Amino acid sequence: MKNIQNEEYYLGDDPDEDSRDGEGEKMNTDFSKLELKPDHANRPLWACADGRIFLETFSPLYKQAYDFLIAIAEPVCRPESMHEYNLTPHSLYAAVSVGLETETIISVLNKLSKTKLPKDMIDFINASTANYGKVKLVLKKNRYFIESPFPEVLKKLGNDVVISKARFYSDPYGGDGFTVGKTSGELEAGPGELLNAAELAAAAEEKETHSFEIDPALVETVKQRCLPSELNYPMLEEYDFRNDNVNPDLDMELKPHAQPRPYQEKSLSKMFGNGRARSGIIVLPCGAGKSLVGVSAAARIKKSCLCLATNAVSVDQWAFQFKLWSTIRDDQICRFTSDSKERFRGNAGVVVTTYNMVAFGGKRSEESEKIIEEMRNREWGLLLMDEVHVVPAQMFRKVISITKSHCKLGLTATLVREDEKITDLNFLIGPKLYEANWLDLVKGGFIANVQCAEVWCPMTKEFFAEYLKKENSKKKQALYVMNPNKFRACEFLIRFHEQQRGDKIIVFADNLFALTEYAMKLRKPMIYGATSHIERTKILEAFKTSKDVNTVFLSKVGDNSIDIPEANVIIQISSHAGSRRQEAQRLGRILRAKGKIEDRMAGGKEEYNAFFYSLVSTDTQEMYYSTKRQQFLIDQGYSFKVITSLPPADAGSSLSYHSQEEQLSLLAKVLNAGDDLVGLEQLEEDTDGMALQAARRRKGLMSEMSGAKGFVYQEFNSGRHKSSGQQSRKPKDPTKRHQLFKKRFV
Amino acid sequence: MPQVKIIAKNFMDMVASLTAIKLDKLYNNVFICEAILRSLPPLAKKYVLQLLFTDAPVTAKMMKEWVLPDGESKHGVAIDRLIQLRIFNESVDRKKETCYSLNPTFQKNLQKHIISGGVLPREPMNSNNAIKLPSLQELETYALHQWECFLLQLINSGQGEKLTGISSSMMKVFQRGLLSQRDRDGPRLTESGFQFLLMDTNAQLWYIIREYISNAEERDVDPADLISFLLELSFHVTGEAYNLNTLTDVQRTTLKDLADLGLVKLQQGRKDSWFIPTKLATNLSVSLADSSVRKEGYVMMETNFRMYAYSTSKLQCEILRLFARIEYQLPNLIACAITKESLYNAFDNGITSDQIITFLQQNSHPRCADRVPSIPENVTDQIRLWESDLKRIEMTQAHFYDEFPSKDVFEAACDFARQWGGLLWEDSKRMRLVVKSEVHNQMREYLHTQSK
Repeated sequence: MKNIQNEEYYLGDDPDEDSRDGEGEKMNTDFSKLELKPDHANRPLWACADGRIFLETFSPLYKQAYDFLIAIAEPVCRPESMHEYNLTPHSLYAAVSVGLETETIISVLNKLSKTKLPKDMIDFINASTANYGKVKLVLKKNRYFIESPFPEVLKKLGNDVVISKARFYSDPYGGDGFTVGKTSGELEAGPGELLNAAELAAAAEEKETHSFEIDPALVETVKQRCLPSELNYPMLEEYDFRNDNVNPDLDMELKPHAQPRPYQEKSLSKMFGNGRARSGIIVLPCGAGKSLVGVSAAARIKKSCLCLATNAVSVDQWAFQFKLWSTIRDDQICRFTSDSKERFRGNAGVVVTTYNMVAFGGKRSEESEKIIEEMRNREWGLLLMDEVHVVPAQMFRKVISITKSHCKLGLTATLVREDEKITDLNFLIGPKLYEANWLDLVKGGFIANVQCAEVWCPMTKEFFAEYLKKENSKKKQALYVMNPNKFRACEFLIRFHEQQRGDKIIVFADNLFALTEYAMKLRKPMIYGATSHIERTKILEAFKTSKDVNTVFLSKVGDNSIDIPEANVIIQISSHAGSRRQEAQRLGRILRAKGKIEDRMAGGKEEYNAFFYSLVSTDTQEMYYSTKRQQFLIDQGYSFKVITSLPPADAGSSLSYHSQEEQLSLLAKVLNAGDDLVGLEQLEEDTDGMALQAARRRKGLMSEMSGAKGFVYQEFNSGRHKSSGQQSRKPKDPTKRHQLFKKRFV
Repeated sequence: MPQVKIIAKNFMDMVASLTAIKLDKLYNNVFICEAILRSLPPLAKKYVLQLLFTDAPVTAKMMKEWVLPDGESKHGVAIDRLIQLRIFNESVDRKKETCYSLNPTFQKNLQKHIISGGVLPREPMNSNNAIKLPSLQELETYALHQWECFLLQLINSGQGEKLTGISSSMMKVFQRGLLSQRDRDGPRLTESGFQFLLMDTNAQLWYIIREYISNAEERDVDPADLISFLLELSFHVTGEAYNLNTLTDVQRTTLKDLADLGLVKLQQGRKDSWFIPTKLATNLSVSLADSSVRKEGYVMMETNFRMYAYSTSKLQCEILRLFARIEYQLPNLIACAITKESLYNAFDNGITSDQIITFLQQNSHPRCADRVPSIPENVTDQIRLWESDLKRIEMTQAHFYDEFPSKDVFEAACDFARQWGGLLWEDSKRMRLVVKSEVHNQMREYLHTQSK
C-alpha cells in the first residue's frame, strides 16, 4: 500500500511515463469481490483499494460527488460519462487543508460509494491525513503562531529541538504553555449536503485551537523543520487578514462589472473558506478567467500584493487586468521589468514583475537594486504567482525566501509536469485548492469548444530517405518539420481559415529554423525569444486590430501568458517532444470563448468555433510524441480527429513546394544548414539571441534546436538600447542554469 | 448483423441444402411445414396460402400477372425460394408453359394443420406430479449461464486450458473451425473462433447448431432427423416439462448435447426424467434476421479510448480482453482501455477493425446508444487507422540476383524480367535485381541460356 512515509513512491516514478501505464499489469486490479450495496444504482461511485475512484457523471448525485472528489482526489481523466480519480497523499493533504476531516472524508466517501469501502482505502486515508493539515502557521498582528486543534501534536512540535529554540514562552512556570483560542468552522457547504444535520452542526461549531508563538526571524527554519523530509507535519499557512492592523490597507474593490462566474466563485470560496486567506494553487483552464480570480483575491485581502508573471508581455497584461477589474488607482500599481521600473506611491500597492527579476542572482543596476530592496523589506499581503507549473522549484524557493508574504496564491492551467515536480509546489506554495473541469466549462459556454485535429502528413520520398540516414540524426527534427507535405498542409489551412472563415491564426513552431522558413515563405509576422518587447507588442497589436494581419508565427515564447484573445485557430508545426503541458498551454491560447453564448452551446450554429491542428509527419518520431502530448487533453475529455488527406490532392501548384525541384532545393537548404540549425543570420543585431545560440551550439542536443529554450521562465532584456546595468543581467549560459529542465530533454 | 465471413443466414438455408429425398421426408412432419411457412418471405407465404387448396398446377405466366411491375424482383425471389425448398414443383404443361404446383406432402400436411391444428408428439407433464419447475426467470438465468459457460470454455481452451464437462460431440463441433489443434500448444482459437466470440448470441447459436447438424453423419445421426427434431423442439413451450421417455435414443443423446449449450434443462424425478426447453430452444426456428429484440448494451466508449462495461459476466470480460486492456474489475463494472497494443493483438488473431466497431456499436450502453455516433468518431477512426497502418506493407515472394558478369547481361536480364512483368527492383550501379518468384523459373532458364 501507498504510504506517506514513503515519498519515494511518487518521486521515483519515471518522469516520462504516464503514471497509468503498465499499472494494470503490475498491480492486482480485480476488485470484483467488493460487496455491492443493495441500493448501489443510486450511488455514484466505485472506490478501489489502490486509490482509484470511478464516478458516473450521469448520476443524480454527480454534482455533489464531483465537488467532493475534486477536493480529496486527483482527477485522472474526465471524459463525458465516467470520471476517474486517484486518491494520493497530496490530494488528501489538500483536502485536509481546506478543512475536511478524516472522518468526514471517509463517511462521505462511504455514502457515495456503490460498494463497501475497501479497508485498504480507509487505512490509506487515515495514514495520509494523520499528519497533514494538523498544524497551521498563522500570522496575526505580525506575530507568528503555530496553531493546531490537537494539543498532542503541538506538544510534539514544541518539544522539538529546532522549534523549541524559536518558541516564545509565555508561561515559564510549567504547563504546556499553549494559548487556547477558538476559530470558526468551515463556512462553505461543500459535502455538507451529504451529511446529516447533526454532523453539519458539528462541523459548523467553533473549534478550540491551541497555539504558541514563534520568533518571526526563525519562521523559515521552523517551516523547513516541519516538511515531510523532517518532522512530517507540513504547515498550512493562513492569513488572518481582517485582523491585521499592522500592514496598511490597500484601497481597492472589484468593479461592479467584475462578476465572478460560478467556478471562479467556488475557487475563491475554497481559498477564503474560514474567513482567513489560505495559501495554495487554483487550477483553471486558460481563457477561463484566471486573472479575475487573482484580482478578486487581492481585492478581498486588501493589502499590498506582489504579482509574479513569466515575462514582460504578461506583466503588462496583469497590470491591465488589475486596472480592468478593480478600482485600483494608477499610482497604486506598478510594473517592474527590465524596461519599466515604476514604483507605487503611498504605503500599499500592487507590484507586477517577473520571476526572473526577483530571483536574478547577478549584479543589478542601482535602480533595480533599490526596488528589490523595497520588496524584501515589505510584508506582502498576497503573493500572486502566475503559471506556477513552468517555474522551477529552485526559483520558487528563491522568490519565496526573498519576499515575505502572508499568503501565496498560485495560478495555473495545467498541473502536469513531465518531471513530476508537483510535489515541490505542494509544499512551497500550498495544496491545490480547486481544479475546474474543462468539459463542464465548455458545456457552460465559459470556454471555447475546440475541434482538435491531428493532420497526418506523409514524408516525401527524398525527405524520408534523408531522415533515415544515420549521419542526419541531428537533423531529424528539421527534416520532419520541413517536410514539404507538412508545409503545404499548413499553407492550405492558413489559406482556408483566413479566406473562408476570416479566422485569426497562430502558428506554433519550436524549431527556429522552421519558424523562420515558414514565416518568410508565407510572408507572415513572427515572434520568438529574441524579438524585442517593443516589436512583440507591435506585432500583437497589428494582429489584434489589422484586417491584413491574420496569422502570426510564434515560437515557444508564445506558449504561456501571451494573451491573444482574438485568435481562434492554432496550427502546430513543431513542438517540444512529448510535453503534455505544452500541448495544453497552446490549446489554451484559443480557449477564450468568443461570440454569443447561445451560438456556442451544443447544437448552436457555431458549436465549434475554435480549431487546433497538430501537423505531424508520419513514420517519424513526431507520431510517437504526438500521441503522448495529447494525453492530457484527451484525459480532459477532448478528442483528436485524425485527418489524412491534407492538402487536398487537387491543390496542386496553388500551394508552395509543388514541384520536385522546389522540394529538393528545400531539402538541400535543410541539409546545408549544418548542425547549428538555429543559425539565424537575419537577426544578427540581437545580441541576446546570439548569446543563446552560442550557448546552444556547444551542445548538440536535439531539443536545443527548439526555439528560445528556457524563455518560458526567463526574461532577458532584448531591446537594442541597453543600459550597462541591464547588460550585466544577461545570463552566462542558459543551458547550465536550469538543471531541472535540462533533465527532461535527456 | 455482424459482417463476418462465417455467418450463415438462417436455419432454412440449411434445410434448403438438403437433398430432395430428405426434404420430402422432412415435410412429413407437420411442425416442420409450419416452421418453413413461417420462415418464408411475405410474398412466398402468400403464394403458398393461395395455392394451398388448389390442386391444379398454375402457370408461371399467370402468377407473374398477380404482381405489379415494381414487385417483379420480389416475385422472383419468392419463386426461387419456393423452388429451392421444394415447396413448389416445377413442371411443363402441354402448351409448353412452365407451371408450379405445391409439394403434395407439404400441401397435405399444411392443410391438415390449418384445419385441425397440430398436436405435438408429446404433451407437457402435469406439474402437480411432484415436479418442481423452475420459474421462467430462473430458466433464463440458467440458459444464459450455460451458454456463457460454454463460451468461456471455448476461450479457456483457446488459452490452452483443458475442456471439462463438454461432450465429445460438442468438442468436435468446436474443432470444426473455431479451434485448431496444434500438437504441442494444445488447441488454439482460430481466426473464425475470435470472430465467433464477437457475434451476437443468436448468430453464435445458429453457427453452433449448423456445425452440429453438418457433422451429424459422423455421429451416425441422420441430419434430416436432427433438423426435424430441432424444429419440433422450437414448438415446445418454454418452461414446461416434457418426459424423456417420449424420445428416441438418438434424440436423447442430442438433448444431452443441447443441455450443454443451455437449450434445455434436464431434470430427474424419482421415477421419470424430463427436459424443459429454454428460450434458446424456442428461438431456434426464428429467422435470424428478425432478431430485433436485442439485449441491452453494456459498453460505454469514451473519447479517451477508455471503455467502461457494466457487466458482472466473466465471459464479457474475456471477450473485451480480446481487443482491450482490462484495467480494473469491479463488482459490476469493468474498466478497460483500447490501446494500440491491445488492438494489434486482436488484429493478429484475425479480428478486423469493423468487427470490433460493430461489436461496440451493438453492445453500446443505452446511455450512449442514442448518441450519434454511439462510438466516438475519433475512436472508430483510430481503430481503422491502426488497422490500415498494418496493411501498408505488401509482401511479395521474390528472388534476388547479383554478380552479373557484365553490364550488358545485367541490362538484358532486367529487360527480360520487365517483359514478364516480374521486375520489382533494380540497382544498376551494383548490378543487382529482385524478381517476383512467379517468374523465377523463366528467369533461371533465361540466364542459363545466356551464360552458355
